[in-house]
Amino acid sequence: MTNYMLLAPELILTLVALTTMMVGLFIGKNKTILGYFASIGLVAALSLTVSSLNANETLFYGTLTIDALSQFFKIVFISVSLLVTIASIKYTENDQNADSFFTLLLFSTIGMMVVASANDLVTLFVGFELASLSTYALAGFDKKDPKSIEAAMKYFIIGSLSSALMLFGISFVYGMTGTTSIPGIAENAGALVGSPVGLIAVVMLIAGFGFKMALVPFHMWAPDTYQGAPTVVSALLAAGSKKMGFVAAFRVFVVALAVLSPTWQTAFAILAVITMTLGNVVAISQTSVKRMLAYSSVAQAGYIAMAFAVMTPMAFAGGILYTLSHAFMKTGAFLVVAVVGYMVLSDNKNAKDIDHIDNFKGLSKRMPFTAFAMMVFVFALSGIPPTAGYISKFVLFSSTIEAGLVWLAVIAILNSAISLYYYARVVKYMYFLPAIGGKVSEPAPYAIALILALAGVLVIGIWPEPFVYWAMEAAKVLI
Amino acid sequence: MIPLTYYLILSSIVFTIGLYGIMSQRNGVRLLMSVELMLNSANINLVAFSSYNDDMSGQVFTLFSIALAAAEAVIGFAILLSIFRMRNMINIDDINILRW
Repeated sequence: MTNYMLLAPELILTLVALTTMMVGLFIGKNKTILGYFASIGLVAALSLTVSSLNANETLFYGTLTIDALSQFFKIVFISVSLLVTIASIKYTENDQNADSFFTLLLFSTIGMMVVASANDLVTLFVGFELASLSTYALAGFDKKDPKSIEAAMKYFIIGSLSSALMLFGISFVYGMTGTTSIPGIAENAGALVGSPVGLIAVVMLIAGFGFKMALVPFHMWAPDTYQGAPTVVSALLAAGSKKMGFVAAFRVFVVALAVLSPTWQTAFAILAVITMTLGNVVAISQTSVKRMLAYSSVAQAGYIAMAFAVMTPMAFAGGILYTLSHAFMKTGAFLVVAVVGYMVLSDNKNAKDIDHIDNFKGLSKRMPFTAFAMMVFVFALSGIPPTAGYISKFVLFSSTIEAGLVWLAVIAILNSAISLYYYARVVKYMYFLPAIGGKVSEPAPYAIALILALAGVLVIGIWPEPFVYWAMEAAKVLI
Repeated sequence: MIPLTYYLILSSIVFTIGLYGIMSQRNGVRLLMSVELMLNSANINLVAFSSYNDDMSGQVFTLFSIALAAAEAVIGFAILLSIFRMRNMINIDDINILRW
């Protein structure tokens, strides 16, 4: 007997998404209420996921598994989606298509959740595509804006290329092991060791997931898409959709293809090093804050990818904890950019380059709370205590040193030092440069989303024990 | 019975054509066609392996992936259409506002 309670978060979100879509057709111009409805659905899904935190079961003939890892990532995805939904209530105000926006947002969340608990490559692929297809449409949501359309175009082409590569890799894995079930592949993966087909499969899968995770050299789409897409959607992409790549890679590489680890461990070590270095170095020269955050997000993916190279339980716990902290820090930072964009547009309706760093000048005078939140987020991203970023970097880097990969940890720490430069520059613009224009108060939805993200960053930073313990529980599923 | 290797050679040729198309073509519709080729080469693989392993799950996977490829094409054409409405062309080389 299938325990449907374990699947309740997904079922509730599906119902809410379909209802949002249908109701949106019949209510008139003001569709704000749908945003509140979607937020309530997400809160319900979040509490149901929290209530089944210690579950460990497989459902539907072993195609879905509910375990500590899946619940952890589901909470990451639902939290990001909740923050984005709350902020979007303001963003989609007076928008005719708000109903489609929230429906797509919910569907992409469901896709990510399915990937998190996938126990079969078919489920994994379908969930992956559900999330990707919804986010392609979301990236181009502002269809009057050439930048948004361009972002969607680039994201779509690279994204569909990555799913094709992934499917090709999966087809070889299936052919050699004779099954699509992830535990089944783990049993039969011996057939792939030492064979050229196994190598091709690993390369294709790394490329396929690497595009989603935006590891260098598969990152070209990420800065363009994050910059061009509506800022709330960039938050979802950077904090949610990227984590989906990581959880899929955890399931496929660490669980299913563990015997091939000598092949992919080195590959991930190299990718991690070039990803964090290129991300941080290129971020220094950016003038658009959104693009800077995009490159910083590329760099952060490099840190998380270190977990694959180290392959100890503690490193996985660090990587998993990093995804949670990164979700709050990055969503928060992108939402701050969205608030600043709102401020600039309310000054001047036809403003260009609303994400330019000049717009952050004197933000501490114009919007003290937003400026403070941004300061916390960027310091968390660079890893300064007492924030979530510091704790996750500490766990991850110390486990790297423990495992004997000192060179990798040194490169990562040097990179964190480089990153401090461009993060501190934002703080300088906000606090030490004179303001242009008067005080503006934040719209309530943005303020609530920022408070929640801020709470997440600070709670994990000040009281890390339960979160580290929880991440270690999740990592036990892997090793 | 045709040996499995022949199918794998066919699928790699189709895959390579698709990959080449993505690298070289600049027209949005041709890009979509190249992506479809790549997805279908994976489908050939799945069906061939499924038949030789005597296991149905590969063919079921193919049905899923055909449906998903169709959905992907729909989203792709929708994006291309909104580009076309804005600029009257779908040459992706000219879509370059966002860089560095």
